[in-house]
Amino acid sequence: MVRQFARRIASAMIATSLLASGVAWAHHSFAMFDFTRLVTIKGTVKEFQWANPHVILWVEPEAKDGEKPAPWFAELTSPGNLTRVGWDKRAFKGGQRIELLIHPLRDGKSGGAFKQATLPESGKVWVSDLRQQEKPGLK
Amino acid sequence: MVLTRQRPGTYKRDMPCPGIIRSLPLLTLGLGLLATSSSFADEPALNKAPTVADWIRLSKLPDWSGVWTPNISDQNAQIKTNPVPWKPEVEARINQLTAEEKAGRPKGLFVDCLPEAMPSWMLISHNALEILFTPGRVTFLGEADGNRLRRIYTDGRPHPPDPDPSFHGHSIGHWEGKTLVVDTIGVLPQTYLAVGEAVGVPNNGDLHVVERIHLLSDKDRDILADDLEITAPHVLSKPWKTTRLYFRQRAQKYDIVEGVCLQGYFAERKDASGNAIFVPIPQTADGNPAAPP
Repeated sequence: MVRQFARRIASAMIATSLLASGVAWAHHSFAMFDFTRLVTIKGTVKEFQWANPHVILWVEPEAKDGEKPAPWFAELTSPGNLTRVGWDKRAFKGGQRIELLIHPLRDGKSGGAFKQATLPESGKVWVSDLRQQEKPGLK
Repeated sequence: MVLTRQRPGTYKRDMPCPGIIRSLPLLTLGLGLLATSSSFADEPALNKAPTVADWIRLSKLPDWSGVWTPNISDQNAQIKTNPVPWKPEVEARINQLTAEEKAGRPKGLFVDCLPEAMPSWMLISHNALEILFTPGRVTFLGEADGNRLRRIYTDGRPHPPDPDPSFHGHSIGHWEGKTLVVDTIGVLPQTYLAVGEAVGVPNNGDLHVVERIHLLSDKDRDILADDLEITAPHVLSKPWKTTRLYFRQRAQKYDIVEGVCLQGYFAERKDASGNAIFVPIPQTADGNPAAPP
């Protein structure tokens, strides 16, 4: 009982520290990304996290010189906004080959703001631009 | 519904009301005080069951159905063309936050998943909303904060004398022709008056927002305009008047979806017994989400 309680306290503390320290996360400005630059990542989809407030796509880059680089994340808008431009949670599946175009983090870390993704097997191209919604009566 | 009881026929809920009744809060408060000293003293305020006539009256209101997507480009343009009259000491802080964001170091105002609150929801949201009319009430439903909704009472009630502060405050509304006039007080002083996701300050209390919400014109019936007048005496040197625009969408793919902000802090996993569970996503020291295993 005591151990269970302690475990609950511990997990509550982890959650609290996550919430308190979040910077490039949750509901935020995208200014940490460099919109003057574009980076292409070729690899495979690791995970597609379809959740509020920002959807995240994880990609494992192709191995270079036998070494496996760290995964990259591409951050997007919310599931609601993406649904309106024709996306859903099945847009990407783990293991799919992908060519990802992102505006990279300014600090050089392995992440960026999503610009475009191409799935070579199907030829499908995914883009996300909220400005597309700035008129009434869209189909 | 004190007014209906006192002067039957002069005011009906959800209808455009005569000029004398437009200064509702004071008048109603006065009548309310009279009522409390009479036989109504022990009568609790009731949300009366709507009548068929109440529902019919709703059908005469302007059509605000559909999903409304914000004009984000105009949100950004308004900040430049119609700048906020910040108090000088606040403006220094705003300039600092703006410079930090420009330099790629945005301060996260909403990273804790607390609601953007009033009036920032109306000012800066990138997410859609929908509006429901029911007898005695207009309800704004949004997405992204998990509990993003505004209840606007149109049944003629006044504000409580000292409302418990909340993220969206206490709102009462009435119709002036085809315009819904909404008066909001009681917003938590800790909530941000924001002009962007990284630029804003706590409103620090005594916030008062008056909105005139209407379809832009008879020609532009698929654009909704919210003309806001924001009074925030602790951070603004004078009331700020600004307008936000929304576009009507009718295609079902635009329907509002559930938006639980905190869900993004958890990954979907299976436990040892095969149960579907949420697991907190760890974070790297620089504040980015750690890669999944």
